[in-house]
Amino acid sequence: MTGPLARRYRRLLFAYPRAYRRARGDELVGALLDAAAPGLRRPSAREAANLVRHGLRARLGRPASRTVVTWAVLAAVISGLFAAAFAARAGWQTARPLPRAAEARAMLAEILPEQEFADLEDAPALFIIYGSPLSLRSTRDLLLGDGGEYAQAGVAGSAPLPPMTDPAVIVDQARQNLRAHGWTVYRPIFHEVYGCAGPPCDPTTIPRSTTIVAGRGDTTFTLEVTPTDSYNPGRISGGFQRATPAAVYPLAVAGGLAGAVVAFLLFGWASRRTQGRHPARAVVKTLLGIALFLWWAPALLALPTMAWHTIDEPHPSWHPMWEWLGQPVFSLFFLLGCGAALLSLALAALPSRDREPLPAHT
Amino acid sequence: MYAVAAMREPTFLILTALADGPRHGYGIVQEVRVLSGGRTSLLTGTLYTALDRLTAEGLIEPDREEEVDGRTRRYYRLRSAGLAALTAETARLRQLATAAETRLRAVRPETA
Repeated sequence: MTGPLARRYRRLLFAYPRAYRRARGDELVGALLDAAAPGLRRPSAREAANLVRHGLRARLGRPASRTVVTWAVLAAVISGLFAAAFAARAGWQTARPLPRAAEARAMLAEILPEQEFADLEDAPALFIIYGSPLSLRSTRDLLLGDGGEYAQAGVAGSAPLPPMTDPAVIVDQARQNLRAHGWTVYRPIFHEVYGCAGPPCDPTTIPRSTTIVAGRGDTTFTLEVTPTDSYNPGRISGGFQRATPAAVYPLAVAGGLAGAVVAFLLFGWASRRTQGRHPARAVVKTLLGIALFLWWAPALLALPTMAWHTIDEPHPSWHPMWEWLGQPVFSLFFLLGCGAALLSLALAALPSRDREPLPAHT
Repeated sequence: MYAVAAMREPTFLILTALADGPRHGYGIVQEVRVLSGGRTSLLTGTLYTALDRLTAEGLIEPDREEEVDGRTRRYYRLRSAGLAALTAETARLRQLATAAETRLRAVRPETA
């Protein structure tokens, strides 16, 4: 069994786990050669795909289980998504620093030359939590409920809305000037300044703020014009942020694939190790279930919300990937899930009571 | 008791192929093709996943091993649980076929 066809079959058998190949490899190659048409030099694409598919299935062990594939897919997909989110965060490091306050003031003067914007300050980092870059001191905020405060920083300022000025005039002027300076301007977004306090309430009498967003190169701009109402004077706020850098996309794809593959292999390893009479079989399964719940639940909560938000309002640059997975709002869930998964793997490494943990027919 | 209702056709055919004695992997593939009138052609990867599953479920077991022209052949045989599952599934299929024949005879007496 050393011809070119046998060698090619053996190469395809690398999809199977090593112990399986050792125990069953010769038998499988023998059956493959028996079934091969005379003169065949290489396996057909269908046969190769079939061997890879069933080899990957064999990596999960538990041949009689009808659910192990589902669990493996759940683990691989969520791990791939989290790995992609971490890779995306690394990709964000390639973004240019935010514009300095002076540069932002100059850009605001192009957009609304008659307004004097105040409170413009240099941003300390691309992402901040409560105004500061992420640090050990912010761990408590990040983990215990305030993870949503970790967000993209911006360089923003505000100006009073001139008396007796219709906000629509400011918005139109800004849209015109933005287009003139090469910005892509998106449709305006309207928000009611306050909700109905109780009946009687006529929603048409509630003042509405207008927000416009625009993008140019690697910069995004947000302008919000709030009209004067009975309680507050009108305001104009304008701020700049960085758009998602191009490097984020390939890094997220590569990171996601790598994460999914590693998770699948680790899941398969743990599943094979604990399929026989393993001392921690039940605990390993329970911990894995806990980890999957803690990882999937925030993602399943956040995904539809983020999708609706993205469809509902124009975005020159989408929200960072981790926000789609409910992170770092639910970072405590993520961390506890990692702990459960690592403990599960550590327990799976305990020696099995079986002499032969694989269903090798020896 | 094996869940006969869940038995898929390839599983039924593999167990049937082993009903009259042990066969090796390619032997099972050939026999399944004959039994199904050429409709079912098992690929090797699919066959071995099924053999692993049936072994884990206690329906079949490895028999002997031999070398032919330098190729390793391992034979598989039915266990008593496999024989019982095949018998039960055959009865279930026969019952279904009989019921269908009865209805067809009533509707189209000349063809049923």
